[in-house]
Amino acid sequence: MNLAHLHLVMNHVPTIGSVAALGVLLLGYVRRNDHLKHVGLEVLFIVALLTLPVYVSGVAGYFEIKNRPDVSVDAVKIHQDVALFGFGWMMMAGFVAWIALWQWRRHGRPGRGLVPAATLLLVMTLVVMGRAANLGGEIRHPEILTGGAAAAPAGDPDRFVTSAITEVAVYSHWAWPAAETVHFLGLSLSLGVLLAINLRLLGFMSEVPFAQVHRLLPWGMLGFGANLITGMFFFVGQPGQYTSSNPFYWKILFLVIAGANFLYLTVFGKAWKEGESARFDPNIADKAMAILSLTAWLGVLYAGRMLPFLGKSF
Amino acid sequence: MRESPSVWAFPTILTLHTTGMGILVGASWLLDLRLLGVGRSTPLSAYRWVFPAITVGLIINLVTGVFLFIKNATTWGTAAPFGVKMLLVVTSVVLLLPIRKYVRGEASEVGGNTRLLAIASILAWAAAVTAGRLLAYLVV
Repeated sequence: MNLAHLHLVMNHVPTIGSVAALGVLLLGYVRRNDHLKHVGLEVLFIVALLTLPVYVSGVAGYFEIKNRPDVSVDAVKIHQDVALFGFGWMMMAGFVAWIALWQWRRHGRPGRGLVPAATLLLVMTLVVMGRAANLGGEIRHPEILTGGAAAAPAGDPDRFVTSAITEVAVYSHWAWPAAETVHFLGLSLSLGVLLAINLRLLGFMSEVPFAQVHRLLPWGMLGFGANLITGMFFFVGQPGQYTSSNPFYWKILFLVIAGANFLYLTVFGKAWKEGESARFDPNIADKAMAILSLTAWLGVLYAGRMLPFLGKSF
Repeated sequence: MRESPSVWAFPTILTLHTTGMGILVGASWLLDLRLLGVGRSTPLSAYRWVFPAITVGLIINLVTGVFLFIKNATTWGTAAPFGVKMLLVVTSVVLLLPIRKYVRGEASEVGGNTRLLAIASILAWAAAVTAGRLLAYLVV
């Protein structure tokens, strides 16, 4: 199985997953059921997480098929452009969903307007992702084109957003180093927070109430968000050097695990039920997740730092 | 290390150096943020874990940093950005000393202004990370 194949396997996740999350959220509104809304936000967060491998495997797929005579490079690039916008909307929706879930955990209910905001962002995501999916289908499925293959979308290669980002990444003297610097600052923030929370789960510094360490989690999410943005800049700017690199795929895998751990730390655990000051005794599942999370974070770091050595990237 | 037949040796040292950085800077920042008033309801004593974490990060990065320097001694030894980075790291660590005294309750007041010190600490670490990252681009 190559990565183009992985893209074909996963490419329906963003659209169908969005429909599922939206359905649960709307059902929550219709039935005035907060529990359903909570589930809808959780599904939304997971779908947003899985959109990352969908996007990067799609770009890898492009490198697999771009030299075939029966493939229109422009059609792929238009699909890629719209998919990038869809990815952006999805990340915003997922981020707002996480904030809502976090406030739900801490205050018993999300701030006013947060769940509607996540729902609206999700609708926007669905519209753009639906368009991206349709354009993706047109790359290899001439049967869905009403006007025949001749009606394949044509775009001006000079105006692709992804190409413009590549131009900045390649020709700007400061953009890449600046993004790398932010990437490392974000890394410090995320690693510091996740290390503290997970070590606390494993029994270190047990004199500190769990809730007081756990409340640092949004700072970890902030670092994660900064690194998602700068990381996507690297990937969109120089996709070839990543799609040809094995450590990159390990990094994406570890990132999805680390992201899932954010959700676990947000919605599971009994820390809040026991009150702010209570001692929290993590169970086996909590400890297993803590080890998994630490492994994933070290994996992200190691694979990230291996990128220049096993692959071609810098 | 550079002559190591293994493709893993250098990246492993580099990964450890990055991990140490994350522990060191992350832990320092979290404490600085608390000193700036973030999560004020959490008692300062709940932040004592920060100092052992910083010590571990410092030791890792001192050891791996020496390895990294040996590999590049001829160019880094005379490069201004490297000197700037070392200066910033030392500044950041020195700034932690009065903060540590304050958190441990050995001093009721941090010399001067607590908030100012916390801001200085955040900026010094950020500058140190920036200088370290830019080394890869400024000094070949």
